Amino acid sequence: MMDRFAKRQRTASLKDKRQKWFRRIMIVSCLLSIVYCPLMAQSNLTYTVKVGTTGEVKMLQEFPESYAAEKINITLGEIENLDRLDKLGKLEKLDHLDFAFADRPVAGIAAWGDSIYSYTDEADVTWTVWRNKKELKNRAQKVLRANAYRAFEDYLIANTARVSQRGGWIWWVFAALLLVGTAIYGGYIVYSRRKEKELTAVEQEMLRRKRMGLRRHYGSQLYLWLLLLVLYAPIALIAVFSFTKSKILGNWTGFSMDLYVNLFTGKADAGLNSAIMYTLIIALVAAVCSTLLGTLAAIGIYNMRARQRKVVSFLNSVPMINPDIITGISLFLLFVALGFSQGLATVCIAHVVFCTPYVVLSVLPRLSRMNPNTYEAALDLGATPMQALRMVMLPELWPGMLSGFILALTLSVHDVGVTFFTKGSGGLETLSTFIYSDARKGGLTPELRPLFTLILIVMLGVLIYINFKDQKEEQS
Amino acid sequence: MSKLVQIFSSRRTWAWPYVAFMALFVVLPLILVGVYAFTDVTGHFTLHNFAKFFTHSEAIQTFLYSLMIAVFNTAICLLIGYPAAYIMAQEDFKTPKVMAMLFILPMWINFLLRTVATVELFNMCGLPLGEGALLFGLCYDYLPFMIYPIYNTLQKMDNSLVEAAQDLGASRWQSFWKVIVPLSMPGVYSGCVMVFMPTVSTFAIAELLTHNNIKLFGSLIQDYITTTDLLNYGAVLSLVLLIIIGLTSFFGEHDAKEEGGLV
Repeated sequence: MMDRFAKRQRTASLKDKRQKWFRRIMIVSCLLSIVYCPLMAQSNLTYTVKVGTTGEVKMLQEFPESYAAEKINITLGEIENLDRLDKLGKLEKLDHLDFAFADRPVAGIAAWGDSIYSYTDEADVTWTVWRNKKELKNRAQKVLRANAYRAFEDYLIANTARVSQRGGWIWWVFAALLLVGTAIYGGYIVYSRRKEKELTAVEQEMLRRKRMGLRRHYGSQLYLWLLLLVLYAPIALIAVFSFTKSKILGNWTGFSMDLYVNLFTGKADAGLNSAIMYTLIIALVAAVCSTLLGTLAAIGIYNMRARQRKVVSFLNSVPMINPDIITGISLFLLFVALGFSQGLATVCIAHVVFCTPYVVLSVLPRLSRMNPNTYEAALDLGATPMQALRMVMLPELWPGMLSGFILALTLSVHDVGVTFFTKGSGGLETLSTFIYSDARKGGLTPELRPLFTLILIVMLGVLIYINFKDQKEEQS
Repeated sequence: MSKLVQIFSSRRTWAWPYVAFMALFVVLPLILVGVYAFTDVTGHFTLHNFAKFFTHSEAIQTFLYSLMIAVFNTAICLLIGYPAAYIMAQEDFKTPKVMAMLFILPMWINFLLRTVATVELFNMCGLPLGEGALLFGLCYDYLPFMIYPIYNTLQKMDNSLVEAAQDLGASRWQSFWKVIVPLSMPGVYSGCVMVFMPTVSTFAIAELLTHNNIKLFGSLIQDYITTTDLLNYGAVLSLVLLIIIGLTSFFGEHDAKEEGGLV
């Protein structure tokens, strides 16, 4: 007994020591970070602009009849006589790089500020090419941020240019936050020490224990909230920049609700509107079909003999284990082999394939909770199987069916891989594949920002509502 | 007619349409992947595609690199996700439900859009896009898959076991390693499988996060499958991925069951 007490005493003093060290390390690392952040903000990170070959090859495949890609000049620089050329109609502003290959021969494409321009005659254009390192450095920060240049990266000609970029203002924000945090923490320590001296030994010990508990509590809270901060940072970026008109994410051009207005009045990109529509159609069709098929299947599986059941359950788990790319590719090969033309129908079938197993799994538990004899009883009392299904089974099963339906909707809306391989080349896009092809071109349709901000808000509302309802049910 | 009615009143037959559907759209396509892998463009049997895979250094390298990235990503997700799940499962943690919801909510934003926003964030901080960005993005996308299963097993765990261990003289550290960790192993396994499998087969994220500078196996497969002449070679790559996935899910399931049996 004595031994254990002594051991406890020892561990307590060890813990005290450990905590002291922990405190010291915290403060030192905070101070170091405060120095580090401005250093990051000031530092010149090397930004390698690479010559891309993959991009060009892809372009040629997409536009087989296009004008030889390697003959097009791509220049890092500023067009000096931009206004004049614009007036003469010799310059065309491009939304995406591939426009350059689309309709008429162009001599070259160039970037200026946030935009890409194509020009028809090389002789017209006067350049300031930033050969000089200092100039590169000065322009780099501004230009590398612009999407036009990021899309350019794959296409840059000749030399691999090493461009330096400054760390950016966000590091100053980090530094400021850390400074404030350290100040508060330090202030708290000084304050509590002063107070502690006035207390008796017993009170001090009690306080110490309480504080240890609190520290653990707040430490773990802090960890979770930091994690959430990182998780939500990109989303916050999307939400914040949905209130500005600029085409490029990360470029603030003043508050504006235009994107929201565009989204609701249909002024947004036509592709986006049709993508939203197709996403909804496909999700609904897939969810309805898979709910019907899955519910029937679940009833069937439930009534099977053990061995049969094992086989079908295994079959059921295959699409869930398969990654979406494999499901997509295998279905793609099937449609190719059967000679199906790929389009809306094939996408719907594919979605039913990977949604149904989840419906089956959400209906099965309801079945095992139900009295298996009620259906037989209904049949004995003269009901047809259809009537028995509708009047006896469905009322018991519908919560499972509903959750399966919602799950199917969610999965269908979020899918990229399967849709990508089964949509064919007829121009059918769902929201996911639309974003994918958009992102590959180097710029996102700006109306996506308000769209997903709204989705986030709606989902937040739904979750809060569910949580609230649960709490109420628990109370009552 | 009466026989037909009899067939339909046996509820076992209700699964037949589903089984037929599955046979046509799940089993047959998977067999087709194998068939395509073993044939050439004209449809004749050949082993050439496999020979090409084993001598194609880009494919092998990409494959190993993807495996490595997936393992790293799984490890990082575990390191970050386990403490989060552990904290949420503590008894004195008051709002586990809200927290769990907050972790799931980002998944409602299209993951490609989130990835693009992450790229933008990296640009704003002036951080270079490369392996670090790739791992960050992957971890960011798959972390909830790790937290959730671990949280579930930890929450279901009988807390009196931990108390018993502490009563018997175990320190907090000891009771954590000898009681809590072994008991949460099924959750850890299923979390690892759920993170590892999609990471191995991911195809869009790497492309966006590194501006196509780093290629993962999924992107490679996609490149070959979408090129008509190289379809058969793409099928070989898919088959390789399929084998990896099969092995992972087989071992994952096996281990999870074994650990579950111990409890």
